[in-house]
Amino acid sequence: MNKDLKRGGMILGSILLLFFTYSCGTPEQRAINVPEPDSTVANARPTHPAGTGLHFVEIKDMKFQPESLSVKKGDTVMWTNHDIVTHDVTEEKSKAWTSGPLAPGQSWSLVVTKSADYYCSIHLVMKGKLTVQ
Amino acid sequence: MKIKQSIAMLSTFAIVCGALLCMPAIGQTNTKLTDPEIASVAVTANQIDIEYAQIAKKKSTNADVLKFAETMAKDHQSVINQAVALAKKLGVTPKNNATTKSFLAGAVKTKAILNSKKGNVFNKAYIDNEVAYHKAAINEVENVLIPDATNSELKSLLQSALPLFKTHLAHAEMVQKEFK
Repeated sequence: MNKDLKRGGMILGSILLLFFTYSCGTPEQRAINVPEPDSTVANARPTHPAGTGLHFVEIKDMKFQPESLSVKKGDTVMWTNHDIVTHDVTEEKSKAWTSGPLAPGQSWSLVVTKSADYYCSIHLVMKGKLTVQ
Repeated sequence: MKIKQSIAMLSTFAIVCGALLCMPAIGQTNTKLTDPEIASVAVTANQIDIEYAQIAKKKSTNADVLKFAETMAKDHQSVINQAVALAKKLGVTPKNNATTKSFLAGAVKTKAILNSKKGNVFNKAYIDNEVAYHKAAINEVENVLIPDATNSELKSLLQSALPLFKTHLAHAEMVQKEFK
């Protein structure tokens, strides 16, 4: 009997502990503990949990794929160069941000705060668009 | 002024003719190219465009022309590096052939014409040649080299180079508008 009571108490305690841990803070607050990806260094790898404001753009066949992307403010976009030549990802209007040269196989990520048209400053006809909803 | 324009038009015409004259000879070849021959054509064609870019970097002061030339030099070197690495991996030695010789003969004439120009006459001649050269190269890669290639990795490398050359052509046509 005492053993059953003890076991029940332990299970209840565990459930309460789990609930308390999970409910501490809003989702935004929890996200604070997630390190933000470095937006200036090539090969930076975002560590957001899967599916949480993370988008991928493939640089392939001399195109940004998808060319146009809608994101929420604060979402992370990661570009990966799958082509056989070096590219970059550069904000078009005022060069507000740039990845710098991305060699084949390299990736770069950016936390998006504003809508922007961007392009590859090496291959001027390659263009893309980010729209913050 | 009119004389200058006529000279520019005449030299452009000569260069475009040179580029086109060297290319159709390739398309007229009835014999199928072997993989070692394709590797040789790929390396030679890319090397020639690097040499045109080197002339532009020496002779031009126009920012758009210089930027374009810089991109050509880097991109075509990347393709050469990959072609050479692939040939090494496959144990293939690039083999000279009529197509390679035709490319080289055309390049000698074009380089002589480019080297004789100055200023905007040079810029126009260089960029017009780039448009003609890339159009012809795209045609060759699409209709001769890719269909003739038997090794799947070589075929895949040529297929990857095709969108690159098409982007170069679009870039060249964009710069060309400055010198119309």
